[in-house]
Amino acid sequence: MRVVIAEDNALLREGLVLLLTSAGHEVAAVATTGPEILPALLEHRPDVAVLDVRMPPGFRDEGLRAAIDARRQLPGLPVLVLSQYVEETYAAELLGGDASGVGYLLKDRVGRVDAFLDALERVATGGTALDPEVVTELLTRRADDPLDSLTPREREVLHLMAEGRDNTTIAATLVVSERAVSKHIGNVFLKLGLPPSDSGHRRVLAVLAYLNKA
Amino acid sequence: MRETIERADRASMQLLLGAGLALLSYVFVGVLLFTAVASLIVIGLGVLPETVLMLRRIAGYKRRQVAQWSGTRIPEAYTPLTGTLVERVRKAVKDPGTYRDLRWLVVHFVYGLLLLYVALPLWVIGVIVDGVWCGLLRRGAVVLPLIVRLAELDARWSRALLKPSPEAERNAELAERVEELTETRAGAVAAHGAELRRIERDLHDGTQARLVALSMRVGLAKRAYDRGGTDPDTVRRLLDDAQDQAEEALTELRHVVRGIHPPILTDRGLLGAVRALAASSGLEVSVRDDGVEGGARAPAAVEAAAYFVVAEALTNAAKHSGARGAGVELARTPRGLRLCVRDEGSGGADESGGSGLLGMRRRVAALDGTMDVTSPAGGPTEIGVELPCVW
Repeated sequence: MRVVIAEDNALLREGLVLLLTSAGHEVAAVATTGPEILPALLEHRPDVAVLDVRMPPGFRDEGLRAAIDARRQLPGLPVLVLSQYVEETYAAELLGGDASGVGYLLKDRVGRVDAFLDALERVATGGTALDPEVVTELLTRRADDPLDSLTPREREVLHLMAEGRDNTTIAATLVVSERAVSKHIGNVFLKLGLPPSDSGHRRVLAVLAYLNKA
Repeated sequence: MRETIERADRASMQLLLGAGLALLSYVFVGVLLFTAVASLIVIGLGVLPETVLMLRRIAGYKRRQVAQWSGTRIPEAYTPLTGTLVERVRKAVKDPGTYRDLRWLVVHFVYGLLLLYVALPLWVIGVIVDGVWCGLLRRGAVVLPLIVRLAELDARWSRALLKPSPEAERNAELAERVEELTETRAGAVAAHGAELRRIERDLHDGTQARLVALSMRVGLAKRAYDRGGTDPDTVRRLLDDAQDQAEEALTELRHVVRGIHPPILTDRGLLGAVRALAASSGLEVSVRDDGVEGGARAPAAVEAAAYFVVAEALTNAAKHSGARGAGVELARTPRGLRLCVRDEGSGGADESGGSGLLGMRRRVAALDGTMDVTSPAGGPTEIGVELPCVW
């Protein structure tokens, strides 16, 4: 895959380039400041963009804004946003109306190389990768709602679904069969009053829309 | 009638005390003259400050007496007589309060006695006239209330003579404010110190320890690798552990950073950060801004404290109040930042319970701010905070 990176910290930038090239990806361009991001994306049209949130010159949320702008100009452009900390609000802004091809992860996750590359792949192919910490925040904040009626196992399934995982991965993570996962998912949708949905990112969207509604 | 007599009685007592004080001043004038003469031959300077202090005590007694009678305090503003003898003499002589007191002493000597002299015959006339007037004709008393008027006159004159000059009063106010600021600054410094120690402890016990553990595991893995022939599973397990430690260290660091200054404040400013809190609170929260957005930003410490208060208040509302919605108001005021968080929940928030209210109060107090909590049983709960700052 061809990747465009935006990261101002030299150490992390080199690390990312090393990680991606050693996994067989091509780094088409590297942006080191906020204003460089959009032109680089428009010029190279990468398969996926990996963007840091806080970039010079303002050191605020330049990367996030660039990601949103880029997706407005190049609809469907897959972006994976990395950050030193996660905010639910940022996730909501990024996902907007379309969770397809969007990732939002803590920088820490880069350390788990396989999982990170998997998430990158997922985002590049139109899937979603939402950091578990964001999902936890989404799931734990409310006191009285249908989420309480879920069994612990169903909650785990919902958690993984919201992160953007597919049935196979969920089954492997929880060490259950895929049929069992399908059954849990059916129950979750039933209890939350959501229309049954096929697998894929539409399902993620339905779940996130539900969690965001509160 | 009975009441009228009691009031006249009290007024006479007042006048009697005033006259007594006037007689005492007569004696005191003697002391003053002695001091003045002695001062001329230098040795008397030693007693000058003591004499002035005595004068202040007499004036202070009159102030208290008038305050008791009229119910309002007469402010006092003197230069404290401290330091060496020369300094004390200089301060006593330069204090305008000394001369105001002297003026009062002389004038009071006259009216203190005079008012009593007028009051005494009034009693005799009063008992006869009012006795007939009220006792037989059932009319209101006429003469006895005059005695009360005399006491009021005494209070009014004394107040006018004894209250400090506007300048001295302002100085006294400023001195009081300086004392208050010294106190709150000491509090702020102490709170800041406690905060630094907390951060130091968090980093020391948490992050540093984890990084040491991580480095140790990498070292062990390297040793196992160098030796060769070691079970690859062992090396793998050590590296797994090392990565776990690194991730936990990062998580802890994130918490520490959030506690010092939430990153979203840097990114989005106070209003944006509060909106993010509102969006993730799980409640229907309306955020109203009155002049916070745009223009200069509040100092970082004030923004961080405001953010902390809103976060805690919304968490409490979502967890304990049972409310569906809440309202947050932020306003720029001439004195600083005002914020208010209100929910329509069940109320009854208890400061002694572990509801985080105490932490909020401490954080606000550290910045010389004030916090008011009203939370009657049955609701609503309202938390109002004022944080003084220049922006």
